[in-house]
Parts: sequence; structure tokens; C-alpha cells
Amino acid sequence: MAAGVAAWLPFARAAAIGWMPVASAPMPPPPRDKRRGQDGLIILNVSGTRFQTWRNTLERYPDTLLGSTERDFFFHEETNEYFFDRDPDIFRHILNFYRTGKLHYPRHECISAYDEELAFFGIIPEIIGDCCYEEYKDRRRENVERIQDDEENDNNKDMVLPDMSFRETMWRAFENPHTSTMALVFYYVTGFFIAVSVMANVVETVPCGSGPNRAKEVSCGERYVLAFFCLDTACVMIFTVEYLLRLIAAPSRYKFVKSVMSIIDVVAIMPYYIGLVMTDNEDVSGAFVTLRVFRVFRIFKFSRHSAGLRILGYTLKSCASELGFLLFSLTMAIIIFATVMFYAEKGSSASKFTSIPAAFWYTIVTMTTLGYGDMVPKTIIGKVVGSVCSLSGVLVIALPVPVIVSNFSRIYHQSQRAEKRRAQKASKQTGQALVCKSNPTFETQHHHLLHCLEKTTNHEFVDEQTYETSCMEVSLAKPSMSRSSSLSSSPHGLSSCCTRRNKRKSFNVPNSYMADGRRSSIQELSTIQIRERPMSNSRSCLNAKFEETVHLNSEEQSYITAAVISMPTPPVTTPEGGDSASSPNFLQSNIVRVSAL
Amino acid sequence: AVSTMWETEGLQTFGIVVVVCASLKLLHLLGLISFSEDSVEDELELSAVRHRPEALEQLEAQTRFSRKELQILYRGFKNECPSGVVNEDTFKEIYSQFFPQGDASTYAHFLFNAFDTDHNGSISFEDFVMGLSILLRGSVQEKLNWAFNLYDINKDGYITKEEMLDIIKSIYDMMGKCTYPILKEETPRQHVEIFFQKMDKNRDGVVTIDEFIDCCQNDENIMRSMQLFENVI
Repeated sequence: MAAGVAAWLPFARAAAIGWMPVASAPMPPPPRDKRRGQDGLIILNVSGTRFQTWRNTLERYPDTLLGSTERDFFFHEETNEYFFDRDPDIFRHILNFYRTGKLHYPRHECISAYDEELAFFGIIPEIIGDCCYEEYKDRRRENVERIQDDEENDNNKDMVLPDMSFRETMWRAFENPHTSTMALVFYYVTGFFIAVSVMANVVETVPCGSGPNRAKEVSCGERYVLAFFCLDTACVMIFTVEYLLRLIAAPSRYKFVKSVMSIIDVVAIMPYYIGLVMTDNEDVSGAFVTLRVFRVFRIFKFSRHSAGLRILGYTLKSCASELGFLLFSLTMAIIIFATVMFYAEKGSSASKFTSIPAAFWYTIVTMTTLGYGDMVPKTIIGKVVGSVCSLSGVLVIALPVPVIVSNFSRIYHQSQRAEKRRAQKASKQTGQALVCKSNPTFETQHHHLLHCLEKTTNHEFVDEQTYETSCMEVSLAKPSMSRSSSLSSSPHGLSSCCTRRNKRKSFNVPNSYMADGRRSSIQELSTIQIRERPMSNSRSCLNAKFEETVHLNSEEQSYITAAVISMPTPPVTTPEGGDSASSPNFLQSNIVRVSAL
Repeated sequence: AVSTMWETEGLQTFGIVVVVCASLKLLHLLGLISFSEDSVEDELELSAVRHRPEALEQLEAQTRFSRKELQILYRGFKNECPSGVVNEDTFKEIYSQFFPQGDASTYAHFLFNAFDTDHNGSISFEDFVMGLSILLRGSVQEKLNWAFNLYDINKDGYITKEEMLDIIKSIYDMMGKCTYPILKEETPRQHVEIFFQKMDKNRDGVVTIDEFIDCCQNDENIMRSMQLFENVI
């Protein structure tokens, strides 16, 4: 759409006549239309295959080979065509880019040949459309990895910021164990102790031969009380230290305390401390025994060590609705079948189905195809119902399981792909910033149109920040009059108000591919900023604006406005002046020149 | 005995359930009842509207564009709307692209109605090019006529204050939120008042076409701005 919208600009400008009778101010003069070259057909001969297109189509992207005067180097006088000694198959895609505005990557082409053609014709690969971008990047990456043998991709997480506080280093060490050897050691040590602790819990209950009384079998825990106690203490020490360290290192302690892992940590070590505190009181020992069950939660601490476990937990969480559905449908089926079973078996003598709840157990065991055999129907009807029950049980349970499995697989692959895409996007945006596909004539005319709108309504476009500050100033209004800064007093004489012609980046051409990251800087370049109310003295504007539009007769210069902004704190003049010098490199469109006074 | 009685009762219950299900199935087969919610098939709207414009010679005769200009215009038009007509939503979308910081849809709606002279809900290439011909190559009288037609929303020959308020509000909407000075609620209304003071000579609350054209012809600014877009194509 972006390429085509330019074709509708004449229409939008013509429609602006509708504003004229209601305009409250005279209109700005129109930009002098640089007489475009006549719209003729251009013949492009690529290794014998002739392509033809309109001149205007090619000139949509003036910063590529075909769109600029660079193509004149390939002009062949004898045949009155442009000859390129390149691959015609790939050229087809390049020409389609001019036609449709979208660059596609053909899957059957070799990636390096494609890259060469793009480089030759001056097209940056970052503008490949989303449909083909992932494939392109993947192929390219494979290619690079094949050429260079050991290439470890830069992992963002490994970046060591120059000055990280000790606390941040510690946190990073906890989160990504492979960043330093100390972290790795810590990681393995805690893992080892978790395993030891869990094993101890398990072994504690194994019968260990007869006790000192030789009366009965005792469990190992009761035989070697001291040993197990020491082991438990050691593990809990380690866990407590680890928890405290994490608590100290966490960037947001409140968030850390609320997180799942920290709760698991606390639950894992609490029983020990509670056991220490409580004496051997008969009444509470029952409760104490229950608490020891929580020790098994230590096994969940392994989820820090295993990404797959985390994904499983996340899957279950995200499949909560499917699991809930499974549970609900099972409950419904159980109740139905238990009821039917009860009434069917009511007649038979010595039936085990004494009540409907008693029949629940039978139904569950049958539906999950366990079939313990402790409750068995005896009547014919009972047997019929029982068979229907077991058949339907298989179905009801089998249905949601594939959904959960596919969910898990999807989430797993997604987490892999998210990493990949994040890395690709970063490079894509930096590349796009270098591309400017806007047509300068289009820019001029579009700006003129917007200027007419401003004049019609007697209001002007400003950017977000200025708007917000002016909102604030309105609310502050009078009281600030008393303050006066030296800076504001002088320019007051110079210009009663500064002019503001603020072209927000956002409405600069639908065509342009400025990446978001560049917006703020480009805004300074391309606009004249600052508008403020004369009353406010929070900022001041030292210079009046220039507005040069048509009167500049230079070829490329189009609608330019320049101003210098300066704030009470660092004057922005110099950086802007410096920036503007390098702007052609970035923008490659000669829309704006900022001149410093 | 009791057990046999219960057994027969169990059989009876089962029999009743089977009979009920069978009758439901029979009714469903007969089509008297439907089990699924969406048994009614959706009528897919066939949107294969294709429109071919009149011949180039005819358009040349009807408008004031040259042959080449018409060719350029059509190529741009066809690129955006391969089906040959623009419907209102596409029109709004295209127009909004030029005013990204505000909401151009209301004004685009009025524009659409002004271009769609035969009011069939879509702008064909002929409508498009006739409108442009008036706007770019017409006499001042014709342009003012067109503008009047744009403002007169219900096309009754009079511009009322409400119509004007709608138009002015839609123009201010295109400006968006971030303006200087900040747009207040009463700004459009004030603008309408100013307009009516200027245009409504006999103070009857409406502006007729003659009042409008008269007043505009006497206003130098308006006259000059009408010539602004002569060389757009």
C-alpha cells in the first residue's frame, strides 16, 4: 500500500480545495513542482531477458541503482536500453520490489547469489517482507555457520556491562550460571545438595533391619537418627544461605518474594526450622509429621536447573482450561454412570453398591480402565452399564490429552523461536534505519498539504512532548509568571514567540522505513521544534524560525524549515549541527537541512 | 420377589431411555429439530464487483484532462483498487494515510459522498476523474459549486449550522490531539460562527449557493487559494 499511496497524493491535494472556503488564514504557496522527467518506458536488458517498466516505477526508490542516475552508466546507446550482465531470474524479484514495494526471497535460489544481486542493485536485505524474512535469515545463518566452523552466536545474556555493581553481578550469576565459574560451581553444589536431601528423605523410610530392641523392623530414619539429622541440617543450611543470597541480590525484593521459586524455597526449609522450634510435644507431633511431607517440595527446586521442567509447568498452567474441561467432563460422566449403576444394581443381593457415592469409586476405577475388581456388577443391566462406562471412559480421557501434548510442543518450540526472532529483529531494525525510501517530491507535496490543513484550522501540529508540556503549562498558567530566568528575558525582545513548525516523525511519509529507534534523533533533524508560550519560562527559544519553501530554487532542497532550539540546560545547537552534517548518511534523502545560526 | 421386581424396573428404565433417544433421532432425521447451533449456512457475500471504465476517448471528452494524464491517473487508481471501484472503507483507509496523526475518517466520509455523485456506495474511475477534473481544471465557479456540494451534507441546497459544524469538526479531527494551541471544545463552534457571519448575508440561519458563491468571490484569500492546486497533475 505504501508505494501506491503516493499515487493518491494528487487526489488528496485536490480534495484540499474543500477546506479553502472555511480557512481562517491564507494558504501557504505551493511547492514548485520540479518538472519530473517524462513518464516513459524503460527497457532493462538483463543478460538477454528484456524487462520493461515505467520510469516512475523505478524512481520510487531513488537510493538504489535503478532509481538513481547510477543506471546511466549501464545505458547502451546502440540499442537504446539499459544492459545489465546479471542473473535475470533474480532480477525478476528485484524489479517486483519496485513494482509492489515488497521484496521477496525465492526459496530455491542460493542465498549468496541473492545477496550479491541485492548488493549490486543497492537494495538492503532488511526490507525483505515479513513473509520471506524469516526464511531468508535462517538460510543466511546456516550459510555463515557452514563457512566458518566454530561460530558461537553472541548471546545477549553474556554481555558483561562494564560497571555492574556487586549485587547485579551476583544476581546475574544466580540467573545464568554459565556466566562465571563461581556461578557454575554454586549451581552444581546446590543441585547436588537438593538431590542429596531428596534421597535422604526417601531412604529415611526404608526399613533397615531390626532396631536395638530387636522388637520390630525400624526404618533407617529411626535407626540412624543423628546421621540423618546432620545431613538434613547441612542441606537446610545450604538452602537457607542460598535463599538469603538470592534475596539480597534480587533487583526487586518484593517481586522476588512473591515469585513461585522463592515460595518453594521457603516451603522446603520451613519444616526444619519449625521442627527445631517445637519440642517433642505429643499433641503437635502429628502436625509436625505432616509438615515433613513438605520437605518433598525440595524436588521442585530442580526446576531452576531445568528449562524443560519450567516449560512443563508453564504448559500445565496454560492448559488449565483443557485440564479443567477434562475434570469437568469426567465428573459429569462419573455422576451419570454411578447413578445408573446404583439403580441397576439395587436389586441384586449383597450388592456392594450401597449408595451412589459408593458407586463413584467403581465408576472412576472403570473409566480409567484400572479395574481393581473390588466392586463388580452382578445383574445383566449392571454389566451392560459397566461396559458402556469403560468404553466411554477411554474416550473421555483420551480426548484432551493430545491437546495438552500439542500445547506443550507448541510452547516449547515457541520459546526456541522467540529467542531466534529477538536476535533477528535487532539486526533488522538497525538495517532499516539506513534505508530511506521516500520520494523527495512526495515529501514536499505532502508537507504542503499538511501545512494547508494547519492554516485552515489555525492550529499547528506539534509533537507529543510539547503537547504534554503545553498541557501542563495551561494548568500551571499564571503563577509561574513571577519567576524569570535570564535566558527568557532576552529573547523576549527578539521574538515574541517562537515558531513552531513541528513535523512529527510519525506523519513523515508512510513510505519511509525509519525504525523506531531513530525517530527521536531524526525528529530533531527534520523539524523545527519548540514551541512555547511566551509566559512560560521553563524553556526559551533563542532564534526565530526560518521558513524557506519554494523560494529555494535548488534542485534537491524541498520543503525545509530550520531552526535552532536551545534549552536552558545544554544547548542543542551544536549537536544538531553536527548531526545534520551526517544526516545524508542516515536519511539519504535531502529533505531536511538544519542550519545553525 | 423384590430383586426380580427391581430388575424388571431397571430393564424398564433402560427401555424408556432407548425409546426417547430413538424418537429424538427420528425427529432430527425428519428435520423438525436441529441439534447443532449453526445449521444455517452463511450466505457468503460475493464481492466480485468488477467495473470497467468507459473508453478513454469518452473520458477525454467529458473531463478536461489530456489523454496522458488520464492514463497516469488510471494506472494509479487501478493499482490501489484492482476491482475498479473504491468503496467507502478503502477510501477512508487511503485518505487516512495522509493524516496519520489525526482521524480523517469523518472528513473522508464527506469527501466520499461528494465524489460519489450517483450515490451508489462506491466511487468508480469515472466519478473519481470527473471530481478531479472539476477540482483541478474547473473554473472558480465550478470549484465553489463543488465545495458547496461538499458542505451540504444532505444535498438540499442549504448549508445549515449543524452541517457546517459537522464538516468543521471533521477537519479539526484530522489535526489530531497534539496541536498548538490546544484544541478546545468550542473552537469548531466558533469557527462555524465566523463562517456564518461572513457568508450568511440575510441572516436566515442557512447559507444558499448564491450567498456562498457571492461571498467567496468577494474574498481575495479564498479566490487565491482556489488556484493553489492548479498543477497538481
